[in-house]
Amino acid sequence: MTVAPHRDEPPGEAAARPGAGGGAAPRGTAFPAAARRLRTKVLPAIIGNLAMTIIGVIFLLPLAWLILAAFNPHASPGVVTPRFSLANFTQALQSGASGAIMNSLYLAGVSTVIATVVSTLAGYVLSRHYVPLKGAALVVIIFLTGLPVTLLLIPIYQIFVSIGWLDSPFYTSLVLAATSVPFAIWLLKNFIDQVPREFEEAAAIEGSGQFRVLLTVVVPLIMPGVLVSAILTFINSWGAFLIPLVLDANPSDTPGAVGIYQFMSANGQVQFGPLAAYGILFSLPVIILYLISSRWLSGGFSFAGGIKG
Amino acid sequence: MATITLEGVSKAFKGKPAVDGVDLSIDDGQFLIIVGPSGCGKTTTLRMLAGFERPTSGVVRIGGRVMNDVPPKDRDLAMVFQNYALFPHMTVAKNLAFGMRVRRVDRKVIDREVASIASMLGIEALLGRKPAELSGGERQRVALGRALLRKPKAFLLDEPLSNLDAALRAQMRFELKRIHAQFPVTTVYVTHDQVEAMTMADRIALMEGGRLQQVAAPEVLYSEPANTFVAGFVGSPKINLIPGQVVRDARRPTIRSMSCDIPVDGTAGAVLASLPHDNVVIGLRPEELRPRRPATGGLPAVRGVIELIEPLGSETHVALRVGGHVLTCKCPPRAGLEVGSEISVEFDPEHMKVFDGDTGMRLG
Repeated sequence: MTVAPHRDEPPGEAAARPGAGGGAAPRGTAFPAAARRLRTKVLPAIIGNLAMTIIGVIFLLPLAWLILAAFNPHASPGVVTPRFSLANFTQALQSGASGAIMNSLYLAGVSTVIATVVSTLAGYVLSRHYVPLKGAALVVIIFLTGLPVTLLLIPIYQIFVSIGWLDSPFYTSLVLAATSVPFAIWLLKNFIDQVPREFEEAAAIEGSGQFRVLLTVVVPLIMPGVLVSAILTFINSWGAFLIPLVLDANPSDTPGAVGIYQFMSANGQVQFGPLAAYGILFSLPVIILYLISSRWLSGGFSFAGGIKG
Repeated sequence: MATITLEGVSKAFKGKPAVDGVDLSIDDGQFLIIVGPSGCGKTTTLRMLAGFERPTSGVVRIGGRVMNDVPPKDRDLAMVFQNYALFPHMTVAKNLAFGMRVRRVDRKVIDREVASIASMLGIEALLGRKPAELSGGERQRVALGRALLRKPKAFLLDEPLSNLDAALRAQMRFELKRIHAQFPVTTVYVTHDQVEAMTMADRIALMEGGRLQQVAAPEVLYSEPANTFVAGFVGSPKINLIPGQVVRDARRPTIRSMSCDIPVDGTAGAVLASLPHDNVVIGLRPEELRPRRPATGGLPAVRGVIELIEPLGSETHVALRVGGHVLTCKCPPRAGLEVGSEISVEFDPEHMKVFDGDTGMRLG
């Protein structure tokens, strides 16, 4: 703390005492240290916090609306404190929310498993083996991560028509997996690149074949990467709207992201309450997924102790 | 247990030779150390034995079987890596059991073997820990234990002691030697440390520039180096290598070096006469140079000024400037020497090594 010396103290005495207060301030300037502190520390902090609060409120408002509207049987676009009621949830569930969420779980689960397995294998090969034109292949993969799905949807639809894959949740999840694979390959290849080869060599000389090395040594070491890739794939498939809408017209296969549109009728009437309740129900699995995996993710990515350094 | 042979083995990386025509045979149960400076090809040679690198040419045999196209997992070897390569996500016990689990050994047998090797290496208390919680020496023991449990045809060790501190290194040298006596399995050990090589090896293979320079027992390598490189690499402090000239008109074979005529007897002397040129290099080990007490008869001696004195306690190393050369001499402690003073050192020409000055090869 920097405090100016007491006024009733002779200035000479204060100056002679080293470390007493914030240096010998000449008589007459009132609390210069405090003024400086206000200017350099307090004011910027106030402005910064104010700005963050405003931004935070902007972000929180829609969320607040969602939660308040979900419990308000007479919900409207305005943010109002409701008379607490679960009627919206009942209505959302009665109009097929649970079935749609199960469909979404199926699509997201299957596509996540497929995409993660495929990307781990591809990432391992791209990281460790000689592949002709590997550099070009990696550039193409990066390019694919930026390719809009909309562009591919019509050709995919025609392919599905010709091989009879339409209206099948499994084949639809294959397409969902394919949209996530390029980024997942890129992510996992970079994780595998970080794993020192000595681990694999040690496992190989102990008698492990390639698959065993991958499963027992490489995958456990890149688990955080595998989880990140799986979560991203899951979220991508979970929120997918266009692909399941186009490829699977069977009403009983409707996933959550498509099903939510039943609360917005064609003539502009929106049932805000059930819509909000449905939105909350639909977000829950992803939130639970985050909570479960955060324990693993925070474990970090470390080879500590395995090799020197 | 197996013999290992390398027949004309070469390895080139992108056209650059790393190992060049190595012929080497290692007897069953032998402790062979490949030693050489960084980049001499010793680790590449070991990796070819392990199967991590495929020879560009030549044949690798283990137990008589050609191994060139056999993957590492089928070679039945165990390896200790320079950085240990313990699996960081497994406990010590799991690390030790890894190979046996791959081979689907019965769980009870695994538990018993792990316990016995752990007690032999004194790491029982560590079995439940992860590698990150171990010290360098403990990790080294676990890596060694994992290799021992493999019960391989041969052990490969890649600079296993280089990450340990000096005291621990000396202790592990002793232990490795003891373990090898207990389990006399063919062992190939790579190091750049000539002390490790000299103290542990049955035979040493000295490499430089991708080629084998000499393969011999440690004492032979020291007393009969094949060339100036071997002579300079083995021994501490380093051998003194001083250029000299053959004196052609002398009655007996003689070399003139440091303004001193040195008679050369034996086979080296006989070879000197037929040398097509006069350039030679003489090699004098520091312990063979003795400060001359007044009037020791007959031995050649040189006079020089003391430039540096390094007292080590048990002995003193003295750097002596003789003309344009600096000789290192190993002197007894408290010899009463002073920097700047002039002394004479004498040596017995019988222990002197003579090398061809053009090729560096030893004569005789």
